[in-house]
Amino acid sequence: MRIAQEMSLMEKLTILTDAAKYDVACTSSGVDRRGNGRSMGNCVAPGLCHAFAADGRCVSLLKILFTNECIFNCAYCQNNCNSDVPRASFTPDEICTLTMEFYRRNYIEGLFLSSGILHSPNYTMELICQTLDRLRNVHQFNGYIHVKAIPGADPALVERAGFLADRMSVNLELPTSDGLRRLAPYKSRNTILKPMRQIQNRITENKNELAVWRKAPRFVPAGQSTQMIIGATPENDFQIMSVAESLYQKFALKRVFYSAFVNVNHDSNLPVLPGGPPLLREHRLYQADWLLRYYQFSVDELLSEDRPDFNIYLDPKCDWALRHLEQFPVEINRASYRTLLRVPGIGYKSAERIVKARRTATLDFSDLKKIGVVLKRALYFITCSGRMMYNTRIEENYICSQLMSDRTQIPKDVRNGGYQQISLFDSGFLEHAVIPQEQIIAGDISAPAQAG
Amino acid sequence: MYVFICQNSLEGIFSGVYDACASRLGHRNIRLVTGEPENYELFSEYIYVTPSEEKTRKVIHTVTSRFGMQFYESICQAAMSGEPKKKGKMDKADAIYETILLALANGDGQKVLLSLGEPCVYRIFELCRAANREACHHLEFLRFGELENGVLFATIHPKDYILPYLAEHFTDRLPMENFMIYDATHQTVVIHAAAKGYMLADAADLDLDKIKRYSENELEYRRLWLAFFDHIAIEARKNPHLQMQLIPKRYWADTPELSRFA
Repeated sequence: MRIAQEMSLMEKLTILTDAAKYDVACTSSGVDRRGNGRSMGNCVAPGLCHAFAADGRCVSLLKILFTNECIFNCAYCQNNCNSDVPRASFTPDEICTLTMEFYRRNYIEGLFLSSGILHSPNYTMELICQTLDRLRNVHQFNGYIHVKAIPGADPALVERAGFLADRMSVNLELPTSDGLRRLAPYKSRNTILKPMRQIQNRITENKNELAVWRKAPRFVPAGQSTQMIIGATPENDFQIMSVAESLYQKFALKRVFYSAFVNVNHDSNLPVLPGGPPLLREHRLYQADWLLRYYQFSVDELLSEDRPDFNIYLDPKCDWALRHLEQFPVEINRASYRTLLRVPGIGYKSAERIVKARRTATLDFSDLKKIGVVLKRALYFITCSGRMMYNTRIEENYICSQLMSDRTQIPKDVRNGGYQQISLFDSGFLEHAVIPQEQIIAGDISAPAQAG
Repeated sequence: MYVFICQNSLEGIFSGVYDACASRLGHRNIRLVTGEPENYELFSEYIYVTPSEEKTRKVIHTVTSRFGMQFYESICQAAMSGEPKKKGKMDKADAIYETILLALANGDGQKVLLSLGEPCVYRIFELCRAANREACHHLEFLRFGELENGVLFATIHPKDYILPYLAEHFTDRLPMENFMIYDATHQTVVIHAAAKGYMLADAADLDLDKIKRYSENELEYRRLWLAFFDHIAIEARKNPHLQMQLIPKRYWADTPELSRFA
């Protein structure tokens, strides 16, 4: 602690930024709040990304840890109590000044505050609450705040933080409780899901309060999110997506984030990843996540026990469509919105535009192009006024080879790996250890649901 | 064919629309262009439109009262977009003229804006989309610097004339700050005084010397911001191509963190 106090603000900022950067969520979305004419700040619902770092990830919030001193020993985290990294702690005032000064220069959209566990979860959460309280009530900051609920902290502290922040998150860290036990022995599924359930219930209550009195203080107005580390433990995509789906359904989460595992500690419990972090796998998971949230898909449709992983060469939607060719082609001028959503190359926005535009006119392929449909993918699955765009065969192998000739679909390294030699739907492409089915978290999650 | 040459401004285009309608030359024989055409056609007659406030007001009145504010906003956005003339694309003045005619014939402005099958409506849609994106990007990538006298100052180089939109946003966000946004492309500046409204002014009177003198604090916070920006990237995920895709290079020069590499 003595060393930390002598550090300059610059040193602290670099140490605590480095410590926070593996957290993925940096969104500032979900809440629309006009300025009040006196204090600094407002929020726009879609969120704003103020910069893009060298890794292409957006910088929307000032993402820092309060401290990287930690009493936990999670194997995947570089701030665990056994690792030899420089340690530092901010003071609440330093965080407030940084946030205010960055915000008025339009560098950031708000603050993302997380922390290592200093002394105890309660002590840390108390410090976080103090900081947020200063920022909101002394500095009159009206911008976006995303704060982590520390697992194991007192529910009263979590509630206090919730009234100061816009979004809260509790990290699920690993998809199964077994992985958690192995890699993060001080955390348990229970201490993670309990605050999550508490926040969910309080948000629902708050909605009722707001219905009675619209000026009631708002609790976590932008909802809660979580994140999972991908590739540190041997779970397959089916398990991960089932977890995500049950989180959306049972915990009403706004977002689940997936973080490709980066081996920073070189712990013997962790896999060595010679090819770098599993970025393509992360990408496919995000694509599937969008299918769940915007495209009315369910996980059982995309994956199953027999095909537990996503196809590396095709995005999940194309993959699904190829396996369900009996449902295609669909007629653009008549198909329901829900059917349109399922056509590869049609996004939810273009589906909406199609539904609106066809009220006044019969649509043709040239109109679809204007609307924003990606015809090079969609043309195998649609008809306009009963005609297909070209004379194409509706046949799995043929369409598959056509879709894969689209070079933008597959990253360069995989493409150069020679995809023609490998069988197209080889699900064993990513080697996974077999995990007994009862450990899948979908069942795991429902237990504290009844308790809470 | 009669070609009406309008000035590239809201007033110019709306006056053109008024003159074209009032000329009674038949809609099929009329075309509108913004700015001097590059090539003159042999069998066309060229008519110069003088911008007039009264004609503009009349057009605005007709459009807002008959087709609603949303229609009017779309038309304005299209008119303010600065997209240079592209080969094979409809001129924006012509697109606005035809869309208004279409709405007059149809009676329902909202419905007309949805029929993207019409080339003129599609052009309006394209222009609006481009202007919206440009405005959104500037909300994100605009950077203020604190001058010696405490005023926050930002320079931008937008393609479209989006300054009023930015002014609204930042007035709402920073009500107690004195700030200025200088649009170098259109030579306009927004001036906002703390706890008061904003105004738009011509940038000709801007003291170019004064805006280069930053306060001491400014350099310190800029250093902190650069350190934060460099450290937040994960080395193992480095992807310059993705970065460039998400923040196009034309924005780099105006941001402190990327102007180092521009």
